[in-house]
Amino acid sequence: MMDIIFNMLMIFLVITAFFMVFTKDISTAVIALPIYGAILVVIFVILQAPGPAIAEAVIAAGLTTVFFVITINKTEY
Amino acid sequence: MSRMNAMFKKLYKLVLVVSLAIFLFIVFDEIHNLDNNSKRYLSEHYISEGVQETGAINIVTSVLYDYRAFDTLGEATVLLTAAAILSFLVPLGKDKMLGTTFTMIVSQTTKFFIPFLAVLGAYLILFGHLAPGGGFVGGVVMAVIPILLTITYRVEFSEYKFKPAKKKLAEDIGAIGFILLGLVGVVTGSNFLANGQANFGPGNTGELISAGLIPFLNLMIGIKVGAGLAIIFNSLIKEK
Repeated sequence: MMDIIFNMLMIFLVITAFFMVFTKDISTAVIALPIYGAILVVIFVILQAPGPAIAEAVIAAGLTTVFFVITINKTEY
Repeated sequence: MSRMNAMFKKLYKLVLVVSLAIFLFIVFDEIHNLDNNSKRYLSEHYISEGVQETGAINIVTSVLYDYRAFDTLGEATVLLTAAAILSFLVPLGKDKMLGTTFTMIVSQTTKFFIPFLAVLGAYLILFGHLAPGGGFVGGVVMAVIPILLTITYRVEFSEYKFKPAKKKLAEDIGAIGFILLGLVGVVTGSNFLANGQANFGPGNTGELISAGLIPFLNLMIGIKVGAGLAIIFNSLIKEK
């Protein structure tokens, strides 16, 4: 059961990454980044690394998204 | 013809990414299934002897701060250089960021979040040799605190709470402390940044203060990365 969930999450990770690369709108790609991070958090928990999982949640949802949003804001896209 | 051209352009990117993925898959599969074990003696040595030699349960940390500590020093120097150049080049000014004023909910939630972030960052730094984590990740989590203050309130408030001079001092302490801790290995009669090979013992494996120099190196890297990232963010947000 765990293997099936793990492989499904891996496939979703690849799908999210492809979506981020190939989508037209740049803000859609930026908002897809935390979804990628959230899937990665679950994978970290399955791989028994709870500390990096929380850190990844903080970094992906807080830091990286904020960086991209501020960059888009400053370059007046 | 133009339709063909458009279709080709669409397929071109997809084929490029897929071919890169297949190439990487073949390369990693080939590395994983090497028949000749003599080509993998280094990883075999790290996995089988790493815990006894360095005293750190987390083998990634033992590679990062013991076997390859000199590379980590270079990596940390790159970050120091980036932060120094950015704070030198970017002019001092007011931030021209977002025209939005946040409601009370956002500022109160930020206030409640900050202690949790501090505890999580300290845990990741101090337990870097026992659990997954380490100085780099913990430092980034620590750097989120001034960044959150900058975003939610203004950059003036963030620089009033965390003074730029103190952040620069913390980063310098991290950079110089790493080198001074490396010199401990020379003093005890071994190589620079030596830990497992030096004459002081690695201590009891599994305790908080064990593994020789690794917890202190982790602490230095954590201070350095956190202060450096905060300096970089606050410098860039003040840029016009």
